Amino acid sequence: MSIGNPLDADGAGGAGGAGGADGADHPGLTDDEDNHEPKEGTMLLARMAESVYWAGRYLERAESTARIVQVHTDTHVDLPVGEDVGWEPLLTIVGVHSEFSTRYSEAREGGDPEAAEADVIEFVLHHPDNPTSILASLAKARANLRTARPVVPSEAWEVCNNLWLTSVDQLAEAATRQGRVLWLRRVVAGCQRITGILLGAMSRDEAMSFLWIGQNLERADLTTRVLDVRSDNLHMQRGDDPYDVVHWMAVLRSLAAYQPFRRAMPARPQGGSTLRFLLQDDRFPRAVSACLSEVRSHLKELPRAEEAIEACADASLLVASAPVPRLALGGLTEFLDDVQIVLGELHRTIDHTYFHPSLARWLPESAAS
Amino acid sequence: MSDGPRPEPPTWPSYDPGSSFDELVGPDGLPRPAAEPLWRHFQALGAEALVERQDAADREMRAVGVTFTVYDGTTGVDRPWPFDIIPRVISSHEWHHIETGLVQRLNALNLFIDDVYHDQRSVTSGVVPSDLVTGSPNFRRECVGVDPPGGIWAHICGSDLVRDADGTVYVLEDNLRVPSGMSYLLENRMVTKHVFPEMFRHYSIEPVDPYIGRLANLLASVSPSPGDPTIVVMTPGIHNSAYFEHAFLAQQLGVELVEGNDMVVLDDDCVYVQTIDGLQRVDVIYRRVDDLFLDPEAFRPDSALGVPGLMRAWRAGRVGLVNAPGAGVADDKGVYAYVPDIIRFFLGEEPVLDNVPTLRCIDPESRKHVLANLPRLVVKPANESGGYGITVGSQAGPDELAAVATAITENPRGWVAQPILALSTAPTLCDGDIAPRHVDLRPFTLIGPEGAYVTRGGLTRVARVEGSLIVNSSQGGGSKDTWVVDASLASPSTATAVSTATSNGAATREATASTPADGAEP
Repeated sequence: MSIGNPLDADGAGGAGGAGGADGADHPGLTDDEDNHEPKEGTMLLARMAESVYWAGRYLERAESTARIVQVHTDTHVDLPVGEDVGWEPLLTIVGVHSEFSTRYSEAREGGDPEAAEADVIEFVLHHPDNPTSILASLAKARANLRTARPVVPSEAWEVCNNLWLTSVDQLAEAATRQGRVLWLRRVVAGCQRITGILLGAMSRDEAMSFLWIGQNLERADLTTRVLDVRSDNLHMQRGDDPYDVVHWMAVLRSLAAYQPFRRAMPARPQGGSTLRFLLQDDRFPRAVSACLSEVRSHLKELPRAEEAIEACADASLLVASAPVPRLALGGLTEFLDDVQIVLGELHRTIDHTYFHPSLARWLPESAAS
Repeated sequence: MSDGPRPEPPTWPSYDPGSSFDELVGPDGLPRPAAEPLWRHFQALGAEALVERQDAADREMRAVGVTFTVYDGTTGVDRPWPFDIIPRVISSHEWHHIETGLVQRLNALNLFIDDVYHDQRSVTSGVVPSDLVTGSPNFRRECVGVDPPGGIWAHICGSDLVRDADGTVYVLEDNLRVPSGMSYLLENRMVTKHVFPEMFRHYSIEPVDPYIGRLANLLASVSPSPGDPTIVVMTPGIHNSAYFEHAFLAQQLGVELVEGNDMVVLDDDCVYVQTIDGLQRVDVIYRRVDDLFLDPEAFRPDSALGVPGLMRAWRAGRVGLVNAPGAGVADDKGVYAYVPDIIRFFLGEEPVLDNVPTLRCIDPESRKHVLANLPRLVVKPANESGGYGITVGSQAGPDELAAVATAITENPRGWVAQPILALSTAPTLCDGDIAPRHVDLRPFTLIGPEGAYVTRGGLTRVARVEGSLIVNSSQGGGSKDTWVVDASLASPSTATAVSTATSNGAATREATASTPADGAEP
């Protein structure tokens, strides 16, 4: 065994490090000739895949929730007292109605509408008891991007980190309606910026696929939630309700779908046409069937995806077969529950295929190699 | 240009380096030659502009997410990385002396570690007492007889260097286990480039970026497999104080960042990592997990951070570990006192860099002296890192001294003592003014079967409290960028170019490479 003294070779003490970047480097640790082929095969860690998947989900959740709150606030001021749907639908959309009730059951006895608005907004935006508040979603997106730093562009992490820091710093201003508009707009813009960075700077590799799968599953999920809650509050049977259009416009706007809807559909927004668009349109990115097509195309890029592709096809089939005109008159909630169930099934399949497989599943394969 | 009259060197009116050696300013209040362009530039900028640039640097550190974790009891808290924008400057002439000494030292330490796990000639020849070796908590009997590639055990060393009042540089510690700081060094430079871009155009500052490429080559060189190796960085996880660094290095190296749970050792003694497409063989692990947590089969059975069977795989030569397990036996502060003898014994050379005189409390004579002179000594645990458990005698109260005395008496093996060094200072931005603060320096040395590399400069850590000697970031210290500059290029003409920022003037590096450095540093 011999280490030798690498300094003997070129006398680093005298050569002077100013002789270029390599200065007094010693033989062997210099850069190789640049004639390498790209690395073969995949090396995406299961844990990294899970992190980028959840980063995709939470980024989408933060952005969409912010948009939903924004639209709800706008709609609220358009409706006369009495037609007002109140603030509680927000809680149902983001799935925290019971958490909220536990927290505020006593405080809300008085029934002051201003106080109710403040409570709901605080809860949805940032209350620590709400695990899926906008701020919590940003924090989780940030934590997952942080874990996934080796596989995502550092700029995306930096923007996400900054978005989170700024959102925390400026929480106080979100207490007023005016400040809230700015705060929410910043969240939406920040998330869009991150998505833009990822599109422009991330290789279209497996990590990217997991990110988009997460994002699209979350989108599909949120679209069904928005439809579900709104349908409860709409008087769908009464086509002559003057505020019907306002409500359906709000549904579309919550999902950034109003303008695409107007361009794609001949009718003004009403139950049937809105449902068809948000469930079955193949071109609008937040329509459930378009989200599922995205998921499917990314699954096809992944190894061992057969089972997940099948689960995705099941979900697509269910959505495509929705009896839309009839659903607008009743049974929508039950149907959307079924969609949520198949989306959950798809998530579980991805989880046990890629993130948490039992080791035994792989052992025979590797022992043979 | 250089024939013209030399302009009067600038001074900073309120800056008084005091009795310590100052890195940038001489006792006459004038900048040292290597630092003169920088000092002149700062003079021109003025304090207000410096504060603005400091704010910009702080914002960037925060935005980029450069953090470290402080342990407060059991919970860790993320803190922004504290960074002072005024660089510490070292002349390239002096740097080459230090570099030579660091490579010599790490070579000798590797020969020593290899000897410890084989013939123990250093023990039988009486160079190092046997109890220091086999009695060390960092001695791993599982490593006896193992032959890592090239006989290298400690591939990466983060040395702590300090300078005393007379300007002598001492090695204070050799960190051979999982030394951290490299990512901060690289980030500090990145931010400094953004804050003082004009300086980099006109000043010959040695780059620090090549480290990553050298590290990649080093890691590849210990692979047991032919062809392109699969390399991973192994972290204890997101809650570890150095997680930022682990993620940073993995990203820079373009390799996966793994935790123990991601890996498995199969019956073929090979290590595999769990990917989305099944198990994939791992060839080299740059592990940032302490020895005892690496493998619950071999070491602590309660470790959830490790991989069962990892030691078996390493002993069988099926995976490269950097640094090798057991390398820590040579960075024990008890062994530290013997490093000069180790260098003489294994290399037949005199040490290039000095050791701080160290008293080992296990020796009765020394212990007596230590206990009698506690207020004039620094007392350290023999095998802690991160500045934990250190008592500076001159700054400790009677109760603390009494507690230290009891601890030494109860466990003499566990303690060493050193004279209190005056520690050099460097100008630091404090409350809008520039004031001297004590600094140390952590350069990183790489040694592989194929050669060695030392970072140009290192991570300068600074004690932000006036008069304090504790620079560890876990103890509230800050950091600085460190510039190794060719002082022969720091001529008045270059300085003028810097202050006016109009010429693209500095001579090329190649043209001046053969110019002898001016040797002005002591």
